[in-house]
Amino acid sequence: MTEASTSTRHEGHARHDRHAIALMGNPNTGKSSLFNALTGARQKIANFPGVTVEAKIGTTRFENSEFTIIDLPGTYSLAARSPDERVATDALLGRIEGTPKPDGVVIVLDASSLDRNLYIGTQVLEFGLPAVVALTMLDVAESRGIKIDTEKLSKTLGVPVVVVNAPKGKGIDELKGTLHRALHHPGKKLELSYPDDFKRGVDTLHAELLDLGVKLGFTPTRPEALRLLVDGAGPFFDECEEVGGEEWTRKFFEIRERAAAGRSLSMLEAQTRYGAIGQWMREVKQAEAREGRTRTDVVDGILTHKLWGSLVFIVVMGLIFQSIYSWSGPLMDTIDGGFGALGDWVGGMMGEGALKSLVVDGVIAGVGGVLIFLPQILILFLFIAILEDLGYMSRAAFLMDRLMSRFGLSGKAFIPLLSSFACNIPGIMGARVIEDRNTRLTTIFLAPFMSCSARLPVYTLFIAAFVPQIKLLGFLELQGLVLFAMYWVGVLFAIPTALVLKKGILKSKVTPFLLELPSYKMPRPKAVGRVLWERGGSFVRRAGTIILAVSVLVWAAGYFPRGAEIDDKHDAAIAAAEGAYSEAVVSFDPEADIESALAQFKAIDDAHEERTAGLEGEEPEVEAATAESDKQREAEIAELAAKHPAAFTDYENWLKLEEQRSEIENRRAGEHLENSILGRMGHVIEPAVEPLGWDWRIGMAAIASFPAREVIVATLGTIFNLGSEEDEESQTLREVVQNATRPDGSKLFSLATGLSIMVFFALCAQCAATLAVMRRETNSWKWPLASFAYMTGLAYVAALVTFQVAHALGG
Amino acid sequence: MSSQTLDKLPAGASGTVLDVGGEPALQQRLLEMGVLPGIEVKVVRFAPLGDPMEIKVMGYSLSLRKAEAAHVTVERA
Repeated sequence: MTEASTSTRHEGHARHDRHAIALMGNPNTGKSSLFNALTGARQKIANFPGVTVEAKIGTTRFENSEFTIIDLPGTYSLAARSPDERVATDALLGRIEGTPKPDGVVIVLDASSLDRNLYIGTQVLEFGLPAVVALTMLDVAESRGIKIDTEKLSKTLGVPVVVVNAPKGKGIDELKGTLHRALHHPGKKLELSYPDDFKRGVDTLHAELLDLGVKLGFTPTRPEALRLLVDGAGPFFDECEEVGGEEWTRKFFEIRERAAAGRSLSMLEAQTRYGAIGQWMREVKQAEAREGRTRTDVVDGILTHKLWGSLVFIVVMGLIFQSIYSWSGPLMDTIDGGFGALGDWVGGMMGEGALKSLVVDGVIAGVGGVLIFLPQILILFLFIAILEDLGYMSRAAFLMDRLMSRFGLSGKAFIPLLSSFACNIPGIMGARVIEDRNTRLTTIFLAPFMSCSARLPVYTLFIAAFVPQIKLLGFLELQGLVLFAMYWVGVLFAIPTALVLKKGILKSKVTPFLLELPSYKMPRPKAVGRVLWERGGSFVRRAGTIILAVSVLVWAAGYFPRGAEIDDKHDAAIAAAEGAYSEAVVSFDPEADIESALAQFKAIDDAHEERTAGLEGEEPEVEAATAESDKQREAEIAELAAKHPAAFTDYENWLKLEEQRSEIENRRAGEHLENSILGRMGHVIEPAVEPLGWDWRIGMAAIASFPAREVIVATLGTIFNLGSEEDEESQTLREVVQNATRPDGSKLFSLATGLSIMVFFALCAQCAATLAVMRRETNSWKWPLASFAYMTGLAYVAALVTFQVAHALGG
Repeated sequence: MSSQTLDKLPAGASGTVLDVGGEPALQQRLLEMGVLPGIEVKVVRFAPLGDPMEIKVMGYSLSLRKAEAAHVTVERA
């Protein structure tokens, strides 16, 4: 934006200036609440290329100034061992494209653990940007007998200190005012007393870096030289090595060795910083020796207790899983039904043809396919937000770390993976809580192995059709056992996958599991609501577009090309059937009022339908009621038939016509599908899926189910000429699947085929939504593509082995 | 006299850190989190499955794995 356009947009103000401000500090310091208190609803998520962390950007006003606030990820140090950790420094120096260069920085410090908070504080102050300290949690500190002299703290650090309590809205205006003043009076750079030889090392390295500056494309600062000297590795080092070559690397390690003089530089840095902090604290902080246990200590005594802690954990996890699994059901049904009704309504107003099909089967079904995931996402994030706000999430990680670390994961991976059993999407999004990049990527990669609820329709259909209803050992239902086994298939493959990933591609040198266990706090409804709003919105906006596009694409592949000769053939068939019917009508007694008699027959059918509309299931009462109603219908029809024999014959003919019509329409849908791109693809891949016991129809259904696994049920329905309104419980689809034959007349499906399809769907990555979310969360197409290729390959081989073994055993 | 590694301290015991070692990234993380020579630490508890452990350092609670704590040498109080 040019200067001119800025001033015209805000005309009326005498003077107007804009400043970008970075917000930095440890996690759990109330940094996010401060950001929210400052910016309100005016915020968006900043996209950083190449990393999996994100920042939020918002704006706030003070008098005539506008502040753009950049909320950087909470971190304990600026030491950057990975690109994710490097983001904070890059953002601070304005090196991220699309993110404004900060003119100042607000350092958020938690008064209740000021020493540790000041560690990154000293690192940031060394950059010498105009800075203000926002001191949070002063009330918590005071309740623990800690008194902070804010004036002395300000004097010591050389920057203004403002006490804030963001949830109560205290100190926000003062912070803005102080910030405004500080921006016009740059602070003095913090100078810590490092040993002289170390300082010389930093200067020498800084000079070397400045020489390299042209090739790097930016001007490295002295604090960066210090970081590089101490860290001796990481993304900045890699960058320098790349442009500087071997010569540079050799020089670097020479400088580093001289500066270290046999000491550990990390130790030297930590001792210098914490040494200074310790000295300041003697002046600034007064801690009464209170031996009493804090509220957090008492609660932790229960929540991390060997027995009670484990019990509470199991109950909480059970509750989360149950709610995602069952609470979301009614909501999902409502969304599903709503979009179905919308499709019918819109479809009813449009003429037949490609446009109607695009709108109804492509767009409306696609949008419904996006929104259907919202209930599960929101329910999981409701729990995560409450537990995170409460401080329980880190305790859960503490409890589960031992178990998860056996698979190379961390305790924090437990909740995302557990919730993946309900739906992989919230599971993948939930992996955000894992700070370590490699552990987070491994968790994201593993989430789709957990058998989500969309696989259930596939399992139920094929288990009902092919697994005999027998009991093992007198009480174990074989069908239930097979279903249970299907859930384990994914886990069984996930474990070696995790081990290979963590030993191979995603090997971290060491993934330290250093986790702060923050004090317990009451969850704030506003903060929880904000998380739900953000996560839901982010899913709909960012993943939704991809899911919708894929749905439309698959719709088009199943719709085009539209063979005119197929339509002609079936139109002719319908015309012939209708002609035969009309001819039969004409042959009746023209005097009889056939129309009204026919209407009476139809009314009897409608009444029967109405009576049985709510009756579903296989319970004896339901069946009895249905039979009762049917008996009534037959009696009424017989009575009416006796009165109007001619109309009865016509009624019978009309029923036949209806049946013929729907048969023809189904055949038409089936032939169109076979003729479509999708159908042709099915034929193309037939040789590849043959060893799995599949034919082209199953292969095509598998391709068509790419947007979502459960689509295979509807596709099989269509392709077996049943119409696409079938669901997994319908008797007919199950029977048709049982009775479907190959061209030579042999049965298409067997137990072996059923098992092979189930195993394939347990392991494949047939879910556009999951892949879209994976892309969104990893900020790269690499991971979803790798996941798709790996899981499809795995699913294929596993299905192949399953079929061949089951077939050989006579399944 | 009684220097030992942090993972060997029983729950409830305190000590003063003498040295912090380990692989560079781990050592740096421990130091940044306030586990450095001269600082007092107290073992609060071990997780139900025996690992990780929770310690109090610089007035806050930190959880770390025993394998990580094994790189911290302490003088038991």
